[in-house]
Amino acid sequence: MIACYLSDGKFETTSHKDFEVVAQDVNVGRERLAALPLDVIIKILDTLGKNILKNPEINSVPGVSYISLWLRRENLERICRFNYTDNRYLDGFCITETHFKMMAQPRGIVCHWIAANMPTLGFFSIVQALLSKNGSLVKMPPAYAPLILSLLGELPGISVNYKGSTYTGNDLLGAIAIVTFEGRSREASEQFSQVADCRIIFGGAEAVRAIARLPCRDHCETIIFGPKYSFAVFDRIYIESPGFTKSLDRFVRDIAVFNQMACSSPHVLFLEKSRFSLEDIASRLGEAFERSPAALRMQDIPTSLSAAIINARATYLLADKKNCVASKNLGWTILTGGDTCLEEPIQGKCIFIKEVNTVDEVIPLVNHKIQAIAIGIPDLMKREAFAKAVTSRGADRIVIPGTIHDFILPWDGIMTLNRLVRWVILRDDQGSQV
Amino acid sequence: MGNMPRVLQSPDASARDGILAGAPYILEDHRKNENLLPIIRDQLKTAIRNNRFIDHYFSRQSVDVDKIGRLEDVPYIPVQMFKHFDLRTCPEGEVAKILQSSGTTGGSPSRIPLDKSTTLNQIKALKSILEDYLGKNRKIFLVIDHEGINKPEMAFSARTAGVRGLSIYAKKTFYLLREENGTLTLNMPVIRDLIENYAHEDVYAFGFTYIIWTVFYELLKKEGIRFSFDKFVLFHGGGWKKMKDLAVSKETFSATIAGLFGAVPENILDFYGMAEQTGIIFVDCPHGNKHVPAFSQVIIRDPFTLEPCEPGKPGLIEVMSILADSYYDQAVLTEDLGMLVGVDDCPCGRKGRYFRFVARVEKAEIRGCGDTFRELH
Repeated sequence: MIACYLSDGKFETTSHKDFEVVAQDVNVGRERLAALPLDVIIKILDTLGKNILKNPEINSVPGVSYISLWLRRENLERICRFNYTDNRYLDGFCITETHFKMMAQPRGIVCHWIAANMPTLGFFSIVQALLSKNGSLVKMPPAYAPLILSLLGELPGISVNYKGSTYTGNDLLGAIAIVTFEGRSREASEQFSQVADCRIIFGGAEAVRAIARLPCRDHCETIIFGPKYSFAVFDRIYIESPGFTKSLDRFVRDIAVFNQMACSSPHVLFLEKSRFSLEDIASRLGEAFERSPAALRMQDIPTSLSAAIINARATYLLADKKNCVASKNLGWTILTGGDTCLEEPIQGKCIFIKEVNTVDEVIPLVNHKIQAIAIGIPDLMKREAFAKAVTSRGADRIVIPGTIHDFILPWDGIMTLNRLVRWVILRDDQGSQV
Repeated sequence: MGNMPRVLQSPDASARDGILAGAPYILEDHRKNENLLPIIRDQLKTAIRNNRFIDHYFSRQSVDVDKIGRLEDVPYIPVQMFKHFDLRTCPEGEVAKILQSSGTTGGSPSRIPLDKSTTLNQIKALKSILEDYLGKNRKIFLVIDHEGINKPEMAFSARTAGVRGLSIYAKKTFYLLREENGTLTLNMPVIRDLIENYAHEDVYAFGFTYIIWTVFYELLKKEGIRFSFDKFVLFHGGGWKKMKDLAVSKETFSATIAGLFGAVPENILDFYGMAEQTGIIFVDCPHGNKHVPAFSQVIIRDPFTLEPCEPGKPGLIEVMSILADSYYDQAVLTEDLGMLVGVDDCPCGRKGRYFRFVARVEKAEIRGCGDTFRELH
């Protein structure tokens, strides 16, 4: 059975045997959305960002203040410009350098499979569909549906004026449906996949493979995010710099946010040999963990993860040439030593730290499973050479510590908004074409 | 560890012998803790001297054994470590045999080195526990499994541990199942013999919970066979995850199986134990509580804070023991969840802590879009 919590602009819980009615509602809503100027959509989203901060029921939820910042008009305009090169392509045909006009048409209904690791992930996915004027049919993890519904619940109260006309948040809301259904239900999953003009899939390896294999329409575009692995590399200059303590604070945030369950969560930190020993740095990193907000240190973990962390700690405490620095509880764990290699993720704020002679030793470890590498390499030439080498081997995002989770497009090497539209042409004359 | 020094002195052997010779459930918890702590401290010192891994473990956590003031502060080693490290604490030459336990989850086996004194202590301990539940006389022992499970060449598993351990009280042993082409069937000649000739004997039995229910009970039901023993006690353990999947409660299991043997449900005794702590089983009393004997202690630890839990709060089960000189069994953290029910006041009259098994901890899986770094080709 399919449960729907938002459809046709109404926050009502309804049950459905299939997606026919819900998809029809999204189709009607997306046509209204497509008729809006992109500026209006951005203006409404900008207001939404401000309003969610005023709502005491949601403004203290982790990640909500970041959403508010991310929804700023300048940021959304920049994201669109970056993807479309010119935001006017979304609203109509525009002259190009060639002899035909071009326009970015939305694909239609985007079906989103949202992973159960980041409560706010679904919201970012929906906003990207709105910025490309697509309708959204969102399969949400049940635990996260209330937060997303609360965020979207601010839309009906928003009205904006644009060139003498008034538009409301309902113009956006009608293009969104939030559903939950049992992912193991082959029938429901196939039906969901088959109403999509575009599929956005977030998740782990098994989920992504299973969903990607579902039947879909011939023209359907599939955008896959995950599964991925992230890590960090700091060079000697960075480690020995006066600001290193602050850098560790920022890096701890990278580890702790989402309790290390995101594809952008770092699992290993490689440290170039410096005047500080691995033990010194482990100790300073431990202090940085202790300075981090209690809410990040004390996140709930399943008992299975407790056992995994306890086993990892014991393994490193028992073994030769390894060690473990950890909180008394399972709040954070630093595992030091071992070979120069990537390590299987444990999650729950377990970071492996390893010493290397030079950061270049890390380059051969990179493959296409690597999403983000947080690098502490101050020298711009060295930094760029390293980035060029690791991205050529498959890494997607080379960032600075403290920003590893910032949702900046491209993500996973994908310009999402660009993939969410069809580039169509209109030719008005013969012209001459190269 | 070729240059390992000889054991300098055995732990406070006379104190331990005294505990093993006494009744297992008469000491109040605080008295028991007072008895165990000095013995364990001595054992830890020997372990640190004789095993570099354990030496790392203590020094890296800055543990000064002389300053350990409570059993709760003894560093516990997770049970999985027996699969990855040699946790022998006696000289290699003193190891009489190595138990290899595949456990219930498969994978690499645990390796548990046993010397003579440890084996002897384990036998004494188990005898002491069984005596409390069965009385002093040896009895007819029924194994609800096939004889092959106890062959020396078989890997040491929870099933073999139970059979070998509990057989120390047997005056005669019968295997009620046979294995034919990998399938378990009823050992009919033995079953007929028991029905005809042993109904009035003192009988105790052991079986793996899941096998008793899904194989033995089903086969007996199909054949319409029931026993009618005058005095019958069944010890069963393991497989509760599978039983939970089958939606069979402990109460249903006990009532049904008691009926099968002509016994009362109070004599169907679930126990908790593991190969890494052979010699100690935590057996249900008539009130469904598992009791901790004098030579052992149980601590339930919060799965996040790792602090001891108050009664009523589930947590990871840590088992402590003074039995072993040959490996680190002083404090072993299991991957099982249990709940302390109370201390010294079980209506059955046994003193000390009493607890209940709750569940096995599921295997950890990577959640979310984070994943292995390995590329699949």
